Amino acid sequence: MTGVASQSVEEPTARPREVPLLEVRDLRTWFPIRKGVLSRVAGHVKAVDGVDFDIQAGKTLGLVGESGCGKTTVGRTILRLIPATGGSVRFKGEDFFAYRGEALRKLRRQMQIVFQDPVSSLNPRMSVGRIIGEPLEVHGIAKGRERDERVAAVLKRVGLDPVYAARYPHEFSGGQRQRIGIARALALSPALIICDEPVSALDVSIQSQILNLLDDLQKELNIAFLFIAHNLAVVKHISDEVAVMYLGRIVEKAPADDLYGNPLHPYTQSLLSAAPEPDPNPTRRRIILAGEVPSPANPPGGCPFHPRCGLARKVAGESGGGDVVEVTIAGKSERLPSRCVHERPPLEGKGSADHVAACWYAGQAWEGVPET
Amino acid sequence: MGQPLLRIDNLSVGFRTARGLIVPVQGVCYAIFAGQTLAVVGESGSGKSVTALSILRLIPQPPGEIVGGAIHWDGRDLLGLRESAMRKIRGREIAMIFQEPMTSLNPVFTIGDQIVEAVRLHQAVGSRQAVDIAESALRDVGIADPRRRLGEYPHQMSGGMRQRVMIAMALSCRPRLLIADEPTTALDVTIQAQILELLQRLQRERGMSILLITHDLGVVAENADVVAVMYAGRVVECARVEDLFRSPLHPYTGGLLRSVPTLRSTEGRLATIPGSVPNPARLPSGCPFHPRCALTRELAEKAGAEEAVGITFDDEPSRVMKKCVGDDPVLRDVAGGHWAACHFAPGHGEGEASRPELDHTRQVPMDMTSVEGAS
Repeated sequence: MTGVASQSVEEPTARPREVPLLEVRDLRTWFPIRKGVLSRVAGHVKAVDGVDFDIQAGKTLGLVGESGCGKTTVGRTILRLIPATGGSVRFKGEDFFAYRGEALRKLRRQMQIVFQDPVSSLNPRMSVGRIIGEPLEVHGIAKGRERDERVAAVLKRVGLDPVYAARYPHEFSGGQRQRIGIARALALSPALIICDEPVSALDVSIQSQILNLLDDLQKELNIAFLFIAHNLAVVKHISDEVAVMYLGRIVEKAPADDLYGNPLHPYTQSLLSAAPEPDPNPTRRRIILAGEVPSPANPPGGCPFHPRCGLARKVAGESGGGDVVEVTIAGKSERLPSRCVHERPPLEGKGSADHVAACWYAGQAWEGVPET
Repeated sequence: MGQPLLRIDNLSVGFRTARGLIVPVQGVCYAIFAGQTLAVVGESGSGKSVTALSILRLIPQPPGEIVGGAIHWDGRDLLGLRESAMRKIRGREIAMIFQEPMTSLNPVFTIGDQIVEAVRLHQAVGSRQAVDIAESALRDVGIADPRRRLGEYPHQMSGGMRQRVMIAMALSCRPRLLIADEPTTALDVTIQAQILELLQRLQRERGMSILLITHDLGVVAENADVVAVMYAGRVVECARVEDLFRSPLHPYTGGLLRSVPTLRSTEGRLATIPGSVPNPARLPSGCPFHPRCALTRELAEKAGAEEAVGITFDDEPSRVMKKCVGDDPVLRDVAGGHWAACHFAPGHGEGEASRPELDHTRQVPMDMTSVEGAS
């Protein structure tokens, strides 16, 4: 039993962290608002405004939020389909935004995307074989017979008959078209696939087929996914870690079980409570959020969630009144904690280092906390 | 049990195409009672929307045609009414809202113009009074500052706001039945929750019936009193919402419920239904679900050689029950108010072939906490 003693000596106290496959830091994507005859820039829509996360090889980060929160823009900015305004993206430790020309093309091969709409994302004039085979030629990986063999192999891998290579997209159902989209992404053996709402356009009975396929591919090929979706149950199913976005920023991020079992940000709590569950006798309490997501061109100051936040109202109601301010929201006078109105809360660890939330009062119980 | 407000009786709707008549709705029966929410759930191509459009006689004829059946509304057969009589029912007695509020609103008229037009079409009121009705209709659906909103155009509003306007317009004439075709599918979850809560409140206040057409099982579970599941143009199962989710009797319903990930489900592979919804022009023989059905495969494994038969589906050979390939199963009451159209649903052999009618409303309303604030 000498192992016991020697182990404690040899085992380093903190293992050096593996370099993540993808490191996104302070990512910003602003779109200019132009006005007047001279098209002066009058302001910016801050679609993405300071987003940080890592994705480890072979793991899945789920990115959820409502329409307009910036989740799709995050995916496209990472792939440089939209130029970033600021921040950095490191892929396998390399500064991806610094790459140009041939080197960029080589790196890009390893990052692919699967789109939401399997109809508009496949060229109707191209055969399935060409749709999947063209990237192989463009990247100089295979041509001629070798290309056809690889196309056949990848079609088989996604559960389609290789003879389908000769057919055209309109001959397929929605689920099959999404399989073709996945086959196209797989053909280049990527290390990362950005899946942008890959199942939300599909029928219920087809969604589970595609989710299982993605699961299998990840296990076999060690592909990492950035899984962008609005369906919270789907994201929970597929993700190792989940980040919730609101108005261009991440407001909470945690391992999936933590986030769903113990949501700390009042926005996450509201989202979870609003998702309808296939159970006629739900035991949880529903929080109906008032109002809608404000325009990202003119986001509220302080905590951007404060105009809709139930927790802020409860905190203000309980405090003696010292640090409470009166604000007008949609024509109504409301009392809210001064901090929520004036200071933007940082995204910081609450309880554990890997469960972060951007809320001054995160984790406080209020009547809206869903009982699960 | 009283009479249902609306009863669809063995309705079949067809469309003439270059390749002949296809019949996407085949012998559909369901009924809605006063104050009740009936959810019709099904995937694309199940015939749920075509059935609903037939109620208001909004199927263009030609190419569409009613092949058979009847639609009884409060004692009258809607299919036999003259167009002028039908126009009095549309909007005034039965109103409808659609999935995409942007395409249902006219972009070149203000919200006010459009609601006032609907009000004056159906009610004998002056223009000033119509504006007042329009204003209170907007207030009823929770729109702040309704007077100002009346002067706005649809593009100035968000998706959730436009859906509220659609609901306000549909409800301005106080219909007895609201047909809501995927009313929240295009909306975010927090807005969806607002709209569904609004519909529930208006239903309580007015005793209105709702025909809720959706593919979302979560929306069904939380809003329906009675559920009809449609597949390939037929009703394959109909039950009280509690019964349907507790013990689904048709293998399609069971398969759907198991394949949906939920917030509470644990990791692991999802159950799947192989293949996809069949094209109504090329329906499989017998039970239209048999090529995708797990139950018939399971039974065929244990059955004798004379009871089972081999089929090829999606290039995969498998064995299924002969009965499923040969006979189209009839919808039967198999468990005292629980209908299923499956030869091998428990109790189907002894069940009575009848129209599904359930005068049932759910017991436990959902606990709602509304966050006051901006609206």
